[in-house]
Formats: sequence, C-alpha cells, structure tokens
Amino acid sequence: MSEPLFQVKDLHLSLPDMSRKKLFGPAPRIEILKGLTFDLPKGEIVGIVGESGSGKSTLGRVLVRLLWASSGQVLFRGQDIGRLPEDQIKPLRRDLQMIFQDPMSSLNPRHTIGHIVAAPIDRYGFRDSKKLALEALERVGLPGSFAQRYPHELSGGQRQRVGIARAIALNPAFILADEIVSGLDVSSQAQVLTLLQDLAADMNLTIAFISHDLSVIRTVCSQVIVLNHGEIVDAGPCEHVFNAPQSDITRTLIDAIPLPELDDNWLEQVALDDV
Amino acid sequence: MTSEQLNQPDDVRKPTLEVNGLNVALRGGPRLLRDVSLTVYPGEVRALVGESGAGKSMIGKAVLGVLPTSTQITSGKILLHGEDLGQSSPARRRQTVASAASLIPQDPLTALNPSRRIGVQITERLVKRLGWSRADADARALELLERVHIRDPQRVMVSYPHELSGGMRQRVLIAAAFAPRPKLIVADEPTTALDVTVQKQILRLIRELQAESGTAVLFVTHDMGVVAKISQTVTVLFAGKIVESALTRDVFANPQHPYTRALIGATPRYTHPDEPLKPVPPELITNLKREIALADMNGAAHV
Repeated sequence: MSEPLFQVKDLHLSLPDMSRKKLFGPAPRIEILKGLTFDLPKGEIVGIVGESGSGKSTLGRVLVRLLWASSGQVLFRGQDIGRLPEDQIKPLRRDLQMIFQDPMSSLNPRHTIGHIVAAPIDRYGFRDSKKLALEALERVGLPGSFAQRYPHELSGGQRQRVGIARAIALNPAFILADEIVSGLDVSSQAQVLTLLQDLAADMNLTIAFISHDLSVIRTVCSQVIVLNHGEIVDAGPCEHVFNAPQSDITRTLIDAIPLPELDDNWLEQVALDDV
Repeated sequence: MTSEQLNQPDDVRKPTLEVNGLNVALRGGPRLLRDVSLTVYPGEVRALVGESGAGKSMIGKAVLGVLPTSTQITSGKILLHGEDLGQSSPARRRQTVASAASLIPQDPLTALNPSRRIGVQITERLVKRLGWSRADADARALELLERVHIRDPQRVMVSYPHELSGGMRQRVLIAAAFAPRPKLIVADEPTTALDVTVQKQILRLIRELQAESGTAVLFVTHDMGVVAKISQTVTVLFAGKIVESALTRDVFANPQHPYTRALIGATPRYTHPDEPLKPVPPELITNLKREIALADMNGAAHV
C-alpha cells in the first residue's frame, strides 16, 4: 500500500448547539466527531458512509479545512492542518478541492461554464486560465463549446461534470466528493462515477467519497469508513468490510440496500419498532 | 406495452384505477404523457418507474386531479373506483378523490403544516370532507399511529412536526394516507428523502398496511431496487410513454425492452463490485426519442 496522503489521529470536533442556547451566555457544545483515527492512502478512493447525522459531511469539511478540528491531528502530507491559521492554509487550498452535492446551487447561474471553471485557476495567478479551463472541460467529456453556456442550459449529469472539471482544473492532490451523485438518475450516475474513477486513476487523485449508498461505494471505492454518531464503527478495504462487517451498524446498512433483484423475504427482515 | 398479462387471482374484480389513453401536455406546448394506459387492481402495488422527466409523477397528479395549471389533459380517461373522473363535475370529482384516494408525498417535512398538531392534520380530511365525528376520527388516527409502530401515539397526536424525526414524519403521513380507508394510494417517491435503513422500514409499513386493507397502490420511484422489493407489477416510462408494463417478477427475470434492461443494468449492486457501471447507452436514448417524435408527428397528421 502506498503512503498515506492524510493521517487523521484522534480527531474531535464540537460545535455550539444553538438550539439549546440560553439567551445569555455561551451555547452548550455538542460533540460531532468523537476521536477519529484513520489514514487516506494516496491515489485511493475512500468511501465514507453513515446515516444522516453520523458526521460524514462534517468529517469531509475538516479534511478540506472548511471546519477547524477541536483537537487531534489532521496530517496532510505530514503537516497538521487541523488548526493551521488561515494564511498558512491558503497555499494548500489548491491541493484540497471539493465537488458538491447539488451542482445547480454550487454553480453561479450568472456565470458561463468557462468562467466558473477558470475562476479558481485565475485565483492562483495562472495566466492561461482559459486554456486550462477548456482542458479541464475536455477531460470530463464536455466539448469546448460548453464554455459559453450557462448552468441552466445543462442537464444534471453535465452540470456535475462541470463541478468535477472545476475541482480537477488545478491538478489537486485531494478531492472531497460529498454525495455527488445522489441527485442524479441512475444513468447519469453511472457516467459520472465512471468518469471519476478514470480521472482518479489518470491523475493519481486521492478522493474522499461521501455517500449514503453502499452499492455505489462498493463499486467505486477501494476502502470504506463507516461512521455512526461521530465514531468509526468499521473501516478497511471494501472487500473485508462488506464480506465480514465488524459492526451491526454496517450489517444493517448493507441489508437495507434494495438490490434490483427479486427477493420475497427482504422486507420481512426489518424491525419496525421506533428508535 | 403489451396488453396487461396480469394474472389477477380473481378476474371478475374491477380495477381500482383504470387509466386509458391518457395524454397530458403543457398548455399550447409539448406533450408530457403519451397514450398512457394502466390498471391497478385492489391489493396490487404497481410501480411507476423512469428517470427524471419521464412523467411518472405526472400520472399520479393526473389521477389525484392536482396537475399544475400550466398543463392540461388533452385526451384519455381516468376511472377511479369505477367512476369516470373526466365526466364528473369538479365538485363531485373532488369528493370522489377525497374519499377514494390518498397521497403519500416525497418530502415528509414540507407535506406537514409546521404550525399545527399531528393529530389535527391526520383527522382533518376525515372530519371536514368525509363527515366523520371528531371522536371517531381521533380513534382512527390513534389506531393508525399505533399500526405504523409509533411508540407513544397519544403524545405524537399533540406534537408538532418539528418534534419528530424524518422517519417518524413519514410514518405519520402513511397513517394519514390510510386513515380514510382509501381504495387507492399514490405514493410519490415516499422514501427518496430518507436514510436507507428508514427507507426499508417505510417500505415494509406501506406493504403491510396495503396488503391487510387490500388498498391498491401506485408507487412512483426512480429506483429499480425499490421496484423489485415492493411491487407486483411495474410500468416503465420514458419521455411520457410506456415502454414496458408487466409483472415485476417477469421484468426482473426477463426484461423485454432494452430500456428496462438498461435501467436495471445501470443500478449498482454491492454484490457485484467488479461489474463495470453501465450507463443507459446514448444510442438507445436517441432511438427512443426519434421513435417518439415520429409517433407524435404521425399522430398529429391523423388528427
């Protein structure tokens, strides 16, 4: 196995719970990530899965440092970025890119596709940003003519390709992909996932792939981390985790996937009592 | 596309819902549904499946009489519980739909009024439209909240939606849908917004309640996995047109239409991780669109 791009050690994160805040005084803090330790190996796509509220998106946001770690270490290429001040994190940001869930709300409707993809390249002071943007669009399978179009003129799958183009344009080391196919039809989903796999292999990208769909994770990722209430309950190569899950939570998540196959007993295997 | 080869246990039974040659179009614009015909018998769960924009929700909306005002039914018949909705007066139609059909919506948060208690929202239709007494309606609501395995139904009756989790809210909506003992339930992607583990519980609840009451269900979904698990019959839509309609069992054992095959093939399976993901082939989409455009032109020439 290659050396890790990320090494996360005993990561804790707590945020103020505004719903329980008193009128005066500080809000009580709620612990979202409770001591996570794992590695993200270079060049691998690692799935992060869990129910809503398990902390998977929060974890992703710490990796690209949109959130500060409360304690613990987030080593990116050996450097702890968990609590690095903003002026020191800035040069690292071009290596830490993100693709969002809903391309319609993450692409500015007033800007052309070309402008959207070129903007981050400009930001890092490259002169030929237009050319680089066109190259990035080409890599995700969109013809150069798309640069003149606006987001609303594209289909959902095409928009998500633009999101990918923007993320890869600066040749980053790491991409956070947070539920990037959950808004897409199966057909566009298959296209976008195939594209992501090809790019990851070509560009030696490390990708944290957040999803609630374990079938998608099994198909796309080499490793998987299962979160529950801010703790890792299962982790490792997909093959191991899927064939011999260590936790009941993983087992329940796997059993809950409706496979496109007939199975008369599937619905019977679920407890209905409320939690 | 073939006529229904559905082997109903009792052929003399009348379908709960019969849609015949339904055409819906944007006013003065393109067609949205093209000659859609389908039936749902008592106790049957029929899945309506297709990609976004295929018109699957549109069929449910047409049946419930809640099509957007920008659209209109250009031809075709909808028979609900034997009554031709197109021939009834608007008031009569609303009454028929209110007593015979219910909707389980996709988003359990927006479907509930945040400022009113759960109990009132379940019983409203029973009391205001169907003439139940308040006591009967409350008893029925409690019975159903228990039936959907809500632990403390008395408390939930007087709760507000924000006090419940997403899965609980969807249970409340299932209870509300079944409360008036409808003949037909239109379930419009009722689990799309939920976690997979909650989805499985909700699917089981819908299945159990409809089986014991003999309610017919039109289950709209985009997920071939959900189709396989909940339905007995399935109608596959593409661009407002039915491409295949058959027993679910047969569709998964031996899909007839290449588009159905492609939809099943594009759904990833954790049990087959090494199978490459297969998008629906673009040529297939182009051909289907061409066929439909041709049929539209021929249809226009005949009129």
